[in-house]
Amino acid sequence: MPRGVRRRGAAWAVLLSLTASLLAACGSGSDAGGDLTAEPVTLRFTWWGADDRHKRTQQVIEMFQKKHPNITIKGEFKEWNGYWDSLATTMAANDAPDIMQMDELYIASYAERGALLDLNESKKHLDTSNFDQKALATGAIDGKQYGLPVGLGMYSIMVNTDLLAKYGIPLPDDTKWSWDDLKKIGEQASKAGGGQVFGVQSPGINDTAGLSIRARQQGKAMFDAGGKVVLPPEIATQYWTYIQDLAKSGIAAPPSVTVEKASAGLNQSATATNTAVFGLWWNTQLTALTAASGAKLKLLRLPGETQGKAPGAYYKPSMFWSVSSRSKHPAEAAAFVSFLANDEEAAKVLLTERGVPANQKIRDAIASQLKETDKAAKEYLDTVPVSDPPRITPNGASTVDAILKRHTEDVLFGRTSPEQAATSFIKELQSEVDAAK
Amino acid sequence: MSALDELRQLRHGGGQVRKRDNKAAFWFLAPWFAGLVFITIGPVLASFGLGFTKYNLIQPPKFIGFDNFARIFSDERLHNALGVTFTYVFVSVPLQLACALVVALLLDRGMRGLAFYRSAFYLPSLLGSSVAIAVLWTQVFGTDGLVNRVLGAFGIEGKGWISDPDTALSTLIVLNVWTFGSPMVIFLAGLRQIPAVYYEAAAIDGASRWSQFWRITLPLLSPIVFFNLVLQIIHAFQSFTQAFVVSGGTGGPSDSTMFYTLYLYQQGFSRFDMGYASALAWFLLLIIAAFTAINFWAAKYWVFYDD
Repeated sequence: MPRGVRRRGAAWAVLLSLTASLLAACGSGSDAGGDLTAEPVTLRFTWWGADDRHKRTQQVIEMFQKKHPNITIKGEFKEWNGYWDSLATTMAANDAPDIMQMDELYIASYAERGALLDLNESKKHLDTSNFDQKALATGAIDGKQYGLPVGLGMYSIMVNTDLLAKYGIPLPDDTKWSWDDLKKIGEQASKAGGGQVFGVQSPGINDTAGLSIRARQQGKAMFDAGGKVVLPPEIATQYWTYIQDLAKSGIAAPPSVTVEKASAGLNQSATATNTAVFGLWWNTQLTALTAASGAKLKLLRLPGETQGKAPGAYYKPSMFWSVSSRSKHPAEAAAFVSFLANDEEAAKVLLTERGVPANQKIRDAIASQLKETDKAAKEYLDTVPVSDPPRITPNGASTVDAILKRHTEDVLFGRTSPEQAATSFIKELQSEVDAAK
Repeated sequence: MSALDELRQLRHGGGQVRKRDNKAAFWFLAPWFAGLVFITIGPVLASFGLGFTKYNLIQPPKFIGFDNFARIFSDERLHNALGVTFTYVFVSVPLQLACALVVALLLDRGMRGLAFYRSAFYLPSLLGSSVAIAVLWTQVFGTDGLVNRVLGAFGIEGKGWISDPDTALSTLIVLNVWTFGSPMVIFLAGLRQIPAVYYEAAAIDGASRWSQFWRITLPLLSPIVFFNLVLQIIHAFQSFTQAFVVSGGTGGPSDSTMFYTLYLYQQGFSRFDMGYASALAWFLLLIIAAFTAINFWAAKYWVFYDD
């Protein structure tokens, strides 16, 4: 009997000490504004992207570790889709990475749920002096800096000039073309393409920028400052009517081909496979698409920019660096973010792979190292007129791309009319925003 | 010492040995038991509680009563998802069982290389709900896929079967039917249980193969059919991977492959509405329980037990 007691006692002791060490591990965090520790620290850093990005980022991590031998950075990288699923689950499990690559779609949703650190608390370690105030504002909500913009991108039309030359179609004048002009020239290209190549890659599948730009050209917006959906139904109707026309008249590929290509990723897209002459893309994707297609691609301004009330184009932060509010080492995490954003040697490795750097000093520092296509993307950003960026996607509306895609599919396959799609889209989006409150 | 003797000794054996054995058993069972409590029972109970809350995965859950359950009845996209899931279950399961039975009957005639065929037909069951096969499916049924190449050889112009909302669900049904191997193996075992004397007697009486099948094979096999039916219906209701992979997690095009489980997943992990997702999980449990109960009730009228 006494033996049994002793043994049980020992078991309890083990359990208690385990719990104690767990609690201690939870409590030993430093604060965001404090000094950097000299003790060994491991930070987890996660991002989405393709192989090229993983290689460059890993290189930069090693450079940082050489400067801070006591800090180990563990990189975790994924594809875009799996990334958000995994981030949501690790957040729920209280196991979020310390440093995250964040997107405009999700930043409000994570920030307003209290998951992100206000980077202003770490000003001591994180230098933002070389960032334009407007650019910084894209990562701030109510004065709190939840994300540091990494790169900037702009929506653009990418044209395959090899195909244009082959069909003997002159390059359109993009300083004053309209959406109808795009349709007309697309029709010419489709005729010449003989069912193999189409004029325009159908918009409305991958992101909402196209719809937002339509609204902005007419002086409207998707959301107002308070996050309410204020998109006028007529504009959404116009947008889906345009997409429907493209498909019906054979200017875009048949719907099932469009849907298939859209879900297969950038390298399988119509632009990358040389099966569409014109496509809507972010200007920073020029390098990747040129590599994938092997053809000469050129960036054109958006149609309709001069006919409307204001230019629809704007600087979109390609992504942000964010730090978890539950990070145990926020100061060290901020120091790493500062390295990513401000170090010239690191910038020379990263170049424009995450967009044209939002840090203006860095942008100039790497100018001489840029490839032809990167230069073109930078020049586009430097010269094309823009207006103020739209409001950040509000909390609850992170699924807006998926909602838009479903409505586009409904229109393309004739399951609904553009008018019905417009009303249903606005209603659903609003209810998503409301539900998140 | 036979297993039976061993058991007897365990039952009546000396106290010291028994105690020691019990302790050992406890330690061997502990990992499994810990898993059961922490990975299964714990989350199941937690999800029941969460079903009554608004929970966005980060902030603490807020109690909201029956709101999540009330929403089930007004959520139109959920109703569409239910329609898709019911179609999937009630088309694919009967087809799958019919295929399984037909192939089992053919194999039961004792052909040469039986072991090989049995394994070959069983293989898809092992792979069927895997990610790899779902990826393969998107290739096979794609615009430039195998199916369209074959159709093309006959001069028929195909289309993107998976990217068209009218046919996307059918490709998933075909995928499920294709995994008829596991019910087939169970049917084969059942067929072996039917005494040959019945068939001999029937043959002497001049019964055709057709009526032998209807009057001997099917009634005697009915408990096995019932078992397979219950199992496959439950299984089909829970299908997730195929739809997730084939639609890239969207349930598209146009929600045509939006399985109930996929919708539940999206609510939890894309919309961060874990409360509603938990309520949906319990509602699915109710649906499956209801269909299983109906199955057991109906069994009285068509399942025949020999003994």
